[in-house]
Amino acid sequence: MIATLAASPYRDVDFFSFFGVMFQRLFQAIQGNLPLKDLASDEIQMLVLIGLCFSSALIGAFLVLKKMTMMANALCHTILLGIVLAFLLLKPLFLEEGLSNSFLSLKILIVASFLSGLLTTLLTQLLVHVAKVQEDASIGLVFTSLFALGVVLVTLYTKNVHIGTEAIMGNIDALDKDDLSLVGAVALMNLVAFFFFFRGFTTSTFDPLFAGSIGLPVSFLNYFIMVLTAATCIAAFRAVGVLLVLTFFVGPPLMARLLTDKLRTMILLSFVLPAIGSIFSVALSRHILVVYQTPVSTSGLVVCVFALMYLLLLLFAPKKGVITQILKKKAVFQQGNSR
Amino acid sequence: MSYSLLDFFTDPVLRAPTLGSIFMCISSSLVGVIVVIRKRSLLGEALSHASYPGIALGVTLLAAFFTPSSDGFALAVLGCAFISSLLGMLLIDLLQKRFRVKDDAALCFVLSSFFGLGVLIASRIQTTHALWYKQVQAFLYGQTATMRDIHILIYAALLVFTCVTLGLLYREIQILTFDRSFGQSIGINSKFVETAVLLLTVLAIVIGIRSVGVVMMAGMLIAPALASRQLTHTLKHMFIVSGVIGAISGFCGNYFSVMIPFYLKAEKLSLPTGPMILLTASFLCLLALLFAPQRGLITRMLRVLKFKRNCQLENILKALWKEEKKEGVLLQEVASSQNLSSFKTWLRMRKLLSKGWLSIENHRFILSDKGEKKAREVVRLHRLWELYLVHLGHCKDKVHASAEEMEHVLTPELEKQLTDFLRNPMHDPHDQPIPHKEGKE
Repeated sequence: MIATLAASPYRDVDFFSFFGVMFQRLFQAIQGNLPLKDLASDEIQMLVLIGLCFSSALIGAFLVLKKMTMMANALCHTILLGIVLAFLLLKPLFLEEGLSNSFLSLKILIVASFLSGLLTTLLTQLLVHVAKVQEDASIGLVFTSLFALGVVLVTLYTKNVHIGTEAIMGNIDALDKDDLSLVGAVALMNLVAFFFFFRGFTTSTFDPLFAGSIGLPVSFLNYFIMVLTAATCIAAFRAVGVLLVLTFFVGPPLMARLLTDKLRTMILLSFVLPAIGSIFSVALSRHILVVYQTPVSTSGLVVCVFALMYLLLLLFAPKKGVITQILKKKAVFQQGNSR
Repeated sequence: MSYSLLDFFTDPVLRAPTLGSIFMCISSSLVGVIVVIRKRSLLGEALSHASYPGIALGVTLLAAFFTPSSDGFALAVLGCAFISSLLGMLLIDLLQKRFRVKDDAALCFVLSSFFGLGVLIASRIQTTHALWYKQVQAFLYGQTATMRDIHILIYAALLVFTCVTLGLLYREIQILTFDRSFGQSIGINSKFVETAVLLLTVLAIVIGIRSVGVVMMAGMLIAPALASRQLTHTLKHMFIVSGVIGAISGFCGNYFSVMIPFYLKAEKLSLPTGPMILLTASFLCLLALLFAPQRGLITRMLRVLKFKRNCQLENILKALWKEEKKEGVLLQEVASSQNLSSFKTWLRMRKLLSKGWLSIENHRFILSDKGEKKAREVVRLHRLWELYLVHLGHCKDKVHASAEEMEHVLTPELEKQLTDFLRNPMHDPHDQPIPHKEGKE
């Protein structure tokens, strides 16, 4: 069985038979009959998105609870400059590699995530504490300016405007197995970090003063979470682009928050729900392509699906949903009447 | 081919982008003042992203009726952007008030999901209608090159509208921003003004996105306002300076995006205007943050340094006056008595010489008449202050340290007041004579 792109098993399936094929191939994979190199493009997309969901579920819950999502938004923007700078800094070391090969090589990405994470946080802190600028304005000023610098450098360096556009839109159809290993590596990194620091993150989120008093390095943990966020942004860079990854950070914890009050359950739910949503979106994107002959951006679709899921949960969540509450009130009212 | 500065205002191809982006940037930096003062800068970020699906949908739908280059097209697209940005704002409001979602999470959620919707819609026309897709993408990073004279009129009208609304609501906005409860007590309809301000913000964002781009619009609201905050003290001046900075950035950004490809000999490269405009604005803002006459970081540091130097100068004079050596002192002696490095002492001595407070003979420094007078003043202030503190009930052994600092700070007016208050005393608490200003003992 030779699975080239042209003979993708998902080539002309609609929404429902997509899942048929998927489960069939999943079964094959479990039996060991599906070598890794036969992964179809759709499957890579699904796996990359699920990996992203995993990474961002771990981080997102803390970002939302710590009210740091705007810093995450800032990071998503500055990651572009981080990548350009890292590339320019490390370029002398990789002269033999061409632009296309090394533009996103792992070393560059690691440097980039550190650069942009630290640069954004440091500059913002500097503006707030040294220049005494109000916090919202300093965040807004720093990341938009750094992003502008990133766009200019990318455009001048590559003499091409489209890379800048692709950077914020993502190009999920161009993913290959390298991206899969990158996303896997970042997910593993996040998992390890959270395995060791979970207590610290939890304590410093809910009671930073207490965390400081028992000797936890609160500001180090903050920087650390920023760097992890930057790494996740980079993993998402090619798949969904730097702006849309914000939905992965913010959307799932908000969804999960409607369903539970416990942190661990919240993290678990904010992985499972969007993972299902991602698979659904890839299938839907394929369906639209096959049935209506219209290619649409899968990354845009994922974001819309997440938003839709959140809106549905707002209405129908078991305890906190609007409609659920109305129905409950009605039931209580009727009970009162019948007595 | 190269253009002069004047060409940017007269050349039929260049004048529309130039004037257009100047108008756009003025309106966004005017409204930015309100946004920044109210600490809602990040709302601007969310709303500008929220306008993107409107643009995408607007272009897609309107392209059925217009050709992408017709005159009504631009205005209609802006209308769609306005509506979509407004929807975003309503959703943020709903999430915050009805569902108790935290401020930042609500902003970020609306920002990214609206942007995702925009990407989805844009991708629908990417392959089928490449020309329109290009129109949509132009709004991402800003692109003014394709603007024509009709756009000057459109944007001038929008700018005038913004200015007039701001002018009419100026008093109300000022009062409500700085003293909300006072504003309500004198019967200002705060709800109406709030709504008007929000609508104005959305309008300014929608006006600006053509030149600055959806992604960087928030920066253009913040940077000019922040710069003018550094330079001015009153709200009115802040508006004016912010508008001027906006205009400068609008022009420079446009200029650079046209000229840089020429310098690089890559004429085909179309550099987006948005980053250029924003970088100019944030460069100006950085300058203001560092060098503003009173609040600037460097200015403040220089002031501190100058004060420190002044203290050292006065201390040297005081020491020379107390020693009363007719033959003068050597540089090394001063350095060791003042605990300064010899280089620093040399610098301070040069300064004192140039002020005419010292003269030099055979490498020995001698206090001049002028210097003596100055030193007497310093000592007088020191001893007056000591006496004053003792008068207030401080222990006389502990007043020296405070006087060491105050002798450099007290002004002539304060000195006169102290003299009168202490009834022109002759001796300080340590029984030292208080020297008279004019030298009479």
